[in-house]
Amino acid sequence: MIAPPLKYAYYPGCVARGACRELYTSTALITAALGIELVELKSASCCGAGTLKEDSQRLQDAVNARNIALAEEQGLTMLTQCSTCQGVLGAVNDKLRAERGSAYRDEINALLARGGHHYDGSVDVRHLLWILLADVGLDNLRARVRRPLTGLRCGSFYGCYLLRAQAHRRVDDAFNPQSLEKLFEALGATPVYFEGRTKCCGFPLSSYDAPTSFSMAAVRLQDAIDCGADCLVTPCPLCHLNLDARQPEVERQVGRKLGLPVLHLSQLVGLALGLSPEQLGLGRHIVSTRPVLERLGL
Amino acid sequence: MEITIRIRRQAESGSPDYKSYALDVDPGTTVLDALMRIKGEIDGTLAFRKNCRNAICGSCAMRINGRSALACASRIRDVADARGEILIQPMGNMPVIKDLVVDMTSFWKHLDQVDPYVSTAARRTPEKEFLQTPEQRAAVEQAGNCILCGACYSECNSREVNPNFVGPHALAKAQRVMADNRDDQTAQRHALYNQPEFAWGCTRCFYCNEVCPMGVQPLDQIQKIRHELLTDKATEPNTAMRHRRVMVRQIKESGWLDEARFALQVVGRDFKGLWSLVPLGVRMAAKGKMPLRHRPIENCAQVRDLVEAIQKEDTKS
Ligand code: SF4
Ligand code: SF4
Ligand code: SF4
Ligand code: SF4
Ligand code: FES
Repeated sequence: MIAPPLKYAYYPGCVARGACRELYTSTALITAALGIELVELKSASCCGAGTLKEDSQRLQDAVNARNIALAEEQGLTMLTQCSTCQGVLGAVNDKLRAERGSAYRDEINALLARGGHHYDGSVDVRHLLWILLADVGLDNLRARVRRPLTGLRCGSFYGCYLLRAQAHRRVDDAFNPQSLEKLFEALGATPVYFEGRTKCCGFPLSSYDAPTSFSMAAVRLQDAIDCGADCLVTPCPLCHLNLDARQPEVERQVGRKLGLPVLHLSQLVGLALGLSPEQLGLGRHIVSTRPVLERLGL
Repeated sequence: MEITIRIRRQAESGSPDYKSYALDVDPGTTVLDALMRIKGEIDGTLAFRKNCRNAICGSCAMRINGRSALACASRIRDVADARGEILIQPMGNMPVIKDLVVDMTSFWKHLDQVDPYVSTAARRTPEKEFLQTPEQRAAVEQAGNCILCGACYSECNSREVNPNFVGPHALAKAQRVMADNRDDQTAQRHALYNQPEFAWGCTRCFYCNEVCPMGVQPLDQIQKIRHELLTDKATEPNTAMRHRRVMVRQIKESGWLDEARFALQVVGRDFKGLWSLVPLGVRMAAKGKMPLRHRPIENCAQVRDLVEAIQKEDTKS
């Protein structure tokens, strides 16, 4: 059987184009290696990370209906690579689809018409993780592994929005997700189960209540270390910011050296596909990723 | 069907221990029925709370397979795994008194902190009852369905690390009284809820929405309170509110977030805030994580026009 061409409307999200450029580069590399074509939505705006509705529900819905309409104009499924983007865009899509024919949806479309767009509800919004599992497929992925991640003990860190922001159309059970664990196994790595893998990293509080935010990150990191993880792997660059970039502050707050590397999902896949740590930007992290590379004999 | 219920048992001051109980039950019965049979037929020392057996009183919340739920509203067939096993533990975020009974003192204290009563100036009831229109009633309907079972509080990620955070149940109640047209303490409530331990303490983990058996969706209610705070001109501005305002401003300016400038504008507004950002900034810059240039998205003017059109409509309504 010839696989259908995999082509998606790519919504990179702000963090992957800013502080976590290594995610942007890694995603470009692994999708190319897997024969996935990405059409980047260059005029897409920030999704608002779930706080726009606190200003105005209509603002959150309209801005994201516009983002989804851009993918509809390409006739392509929208691919996200951030748990938060997925949860926000996915939930707006679910909601507006259910509102077909309602006055509210007409109102949103009247607003979008100012810029020449129209929301139809004709495309899905899906995270890269789900696309790797369902469209690329684990067997296909396994067949392309050049560097099995044997011996690497990975703790998953899903991100709240990926597991729980969309009330319907769930891929994973909110309390016992398996997508990342299945992926780890396909790449040759060993999943490490710890309680915090489904919980919050504390990022939403980091700008105005840093001590609470760091306490939350500390519980997650220590939990993963105590369960024997060599690293965390996350499909959410915001989790990455709080767990990696703020880890020195977290260490200071709890008075314990942690040094737990945090990898983006795309970087882990890239390592297994045989890409080099330099290509994947593993030197750009705040917490050194050396322990991971040593474990893989690199 | 044959089932095995594993229960986390704990004496008043002892350490926890798991005990398994085998039962033959009808798959349509509830976890609470099974617990009552264990207590009646196997081990009378098992402690748990219950009353109505009908999802009304809110007494029987506990963790069923790691997830807080009402025992009387959970059917065996829905929660037993392929081997017929069910794991039962007490709720989280509260100390255990015995077995599945937890000490809910902080839960009630936190509820009390939001002043959970509809309040008229003199706290006097009129001679006839207060009348409400269906619309006025609808505004308080969802949060009004709370049965104070504690399931949300048990899973709350903010409460887990911040014992002063009042929690989802209290904030759902806060929304319920604030949205009530008979309540005349709006200004006082805004001032009270506009604090880190109240409306801004929630980390949006979605666990409360996930587990609430009554569809209260506390996180949705919390975001409604935040909306009220953000739109009330009299609210004392704080960092959390600045976070929201800068976000909207940056979306208007360039279509997406410029993280470094975002941090400066939100946190670095005074010397202490700025100082707290220095180590982070140095660290990020050293690893090339602080892009120097921030280019607007294509068609940025279109997004600005959209946001401005909505803002204009929102101020009208
Ligand atoms: S979640 Fe964050 S990174 Fe993703 S688009 Fe929204 S604001 Fe940007
Ligand atoms: S874990 Fe934290 S950053 Fe990640 S999705 Fe949840 S709130 Fe967001
Ligand atoms: S909000 Fe829901 S989960 Fe929380 S106490 Fe009320 S009924 Fe229980
Ligand atoms: S969403 Fe907020 S209130 Fe609800 S459980 Fe999470 S932190 Fe607590
Ligand atoms: S016994 Fe009353 S709610 Fe379960």
